[in-house]
Amino acid sequence: MSAATPAGGRIRSAMGLMRSFPAQFWSRLSLQERLALIFVPAAIVAGVVTVLAVVLLGPPFLDFLGANLPLVRFAVAATAILLLTVPTAFVLIYLELKVIARMNLRIGPNRVGPWGIAMSVIHGFKVLSKEDFAPTGADITVFTLAPVVTYMASVMTLLVIPFAPGLIGQDLNIGLLYFFSMGGLTVVGLLMAGWSSFNKYSLLGGLRSAAQIISYEIPLTLSVVGVIILAGTMSMNRIVLAQSGSLLDWFVFKQPLAALIFFIAATAEANRTPFDMTEADSEIVAGFATEYSGMRFGFFFFAEYVNVFIVSALVATVFFGGWTAPFQWPWAYNLNWFNPWSFGFFGWLAIVLTVGYFGTIFFAVFARLFGGREWGLWASMGLGFLFLLVVVAGLVVLAGFIAFDWVAGLVWFMAKTYAFVITFVWMRATLPRVRVDQLMGFAWKWLLPASLLNLFVTATAVVLLNR
Amino acid sequence: MTGIWYVVGLAFAGVSFVFLVIGLAWLISHRNRGDRHKGLPYESGIDTFGDTWGRSAISFYVYALLFVAFDVEVVFLYLWAIVFRDLLIGGLVSMGTFVLVLMLGLAYAWRKGVLTWR
Repeated sequence: MSAATPAGGRIRSAMGLMRSFPAQFWSRLSLQERLALIFVPAAIVAGVVTVLAVVLLGPPFLDFLGANLPLVRFAVAATAILLLTVPTAFVLIYLELKVIARMNLRIGPNRVGPWGIAMSVIHGFKVLSKEDFAPTGADITVFTLAPVVTYMASVMTLLVIPFAPGLIGQDLNIGLLYFFSMGGLTVVGLLMAGWSSFNKYSLLGGLRSAAQIISYEIPLTLSVVGVIILAGTMSMNRIVLAQSGSLLDWFVFKQPLAALIFFIAATAEANRTPFDMTEADSEIVAGFATEYSGMRFGFFFFAEYVNVFIVSALVATVFFGGWTAPFQWPWAYNLNWFNPWSFGFFGWLAIVLTVGYFGTIFFAVFARLFGGREWGLWASMGLGFLFLLVVVAGLVVLAGFIAFDWVAGLVWFMAKTYAFVITFVWMRATLPRVRVDQLMGFAWKWLLPASLLNLFVTATAVVLLNR
Repeated sequence: MTGIWYVVGLAFAGVSFVFLVIGLAWLISHRNRGDRHKGLPYESGIDTFGDTWGRSAISFYVYALLFVAFDVEVVFLYLWAIVFRDLLIGGLVSMGTFVLVLMLGLAYAWRKGVLTWR
């Protein structure tokens, strides 16, 4: 219709943008422009504030931090815990897409980044930029608070999980009880979501999830009582220490039945596939999450995947020795000859530049050789640099593994945890969903008596054998 | 008692984080008012009918009752388990009696058919 050139059209739309400045300015911006207008000023403000804080009140500020070390420790722990949830969820989502795809003889995500590794980041941005919508009849307050409660219920439990020696949010002496009480709050969030959505599927999904989670809560909590008897404590750190030593000190060998019950009940608690009645998409659309969209749905999603991580971490901590190594490191290394401060700034600069330059070329040659013609020169250089970073990171972790206790602990903890994460994904790819009556009957008629049996057999054994 | 402040502080930080991200999403997300049909609940394409917040099955309520009974038992069991090495045979007998009474309740519920989902 109009014969305007693209440039003319752009000018006219810019004029229109200015004319309607306060009212429609923001809504006409594209996603990239909005992100830039949010993040660039925020980064400038944060940078200026930081520089001002360091320059103007440098020494008094540092003195204040030194005098309030618990406060600093809390700030670091809370930030780390909250920021940990995002990459954990991303890694788990990618892992699930890729592993299930390979198990189904599909390829899985392979478009965004090499091997599709940026897929879940794109998912995150998509969820962030989608419309956050509430249906007409919904109870808006409860509707907004429900994902908050669900997400908090899973994040709060991360406080007591021991990642490595000394690397724990807070070693509460009621750690395990705190874990279950916080994890149990998930039910409240799901019920809130189901009730406030003004949708029959949501309400049914919420009620079902409440019934399922509270039913499996009982065997879940009962199965670890045997471990508490053996360890004599509820502190997570001391439960791990009680299993230190060799492989045979792990509680899974003293409490095999409890470990099995715990794993099954934890699957149900995390709403994972043989027990994902709450979101049974073939029966009740998406259960409690039917009416959710945008970031409020995103937080349910986050909570679900963080829950998988947490449940795996708990299985690893309570039954598989947490951060303790399954065997003692057979060779002793002494890295004292290596003093990173002795090189000085320019020495490090030279090392980084040399290694970066030649390492990139070295790996780029490999990328060129094995990647074939589809990798251009700059693409293979970029891939070579990526490989170099991976190799250097691996070497640094290896050095830390040998030199530092906490790095070794973290590596073992993550290895065990992700072994269980993979098991959960495997189960999702393999097992069909159970029927709702079988689900409830299994919890009350099999798991509950079995966990009580385990408890009293353990108690009797302690009475007979120990004293 | 410093632990409780960690819990409270983390709760505060977490809620702030969630609302910050939701606020950010509200700023950058696409919005339009739509029409009357946009706000309808999604019930597989059929217009909603009847009372959404109506009555639901009694079995949910019965499971909640059972849950309360056994969850309170679990709290007692945790404390008992910590000091069990000091109690030994006496603790075993008394807790066995307590759990036996609760299991009688479960057996009654089982017999009455409460545990069978209908």
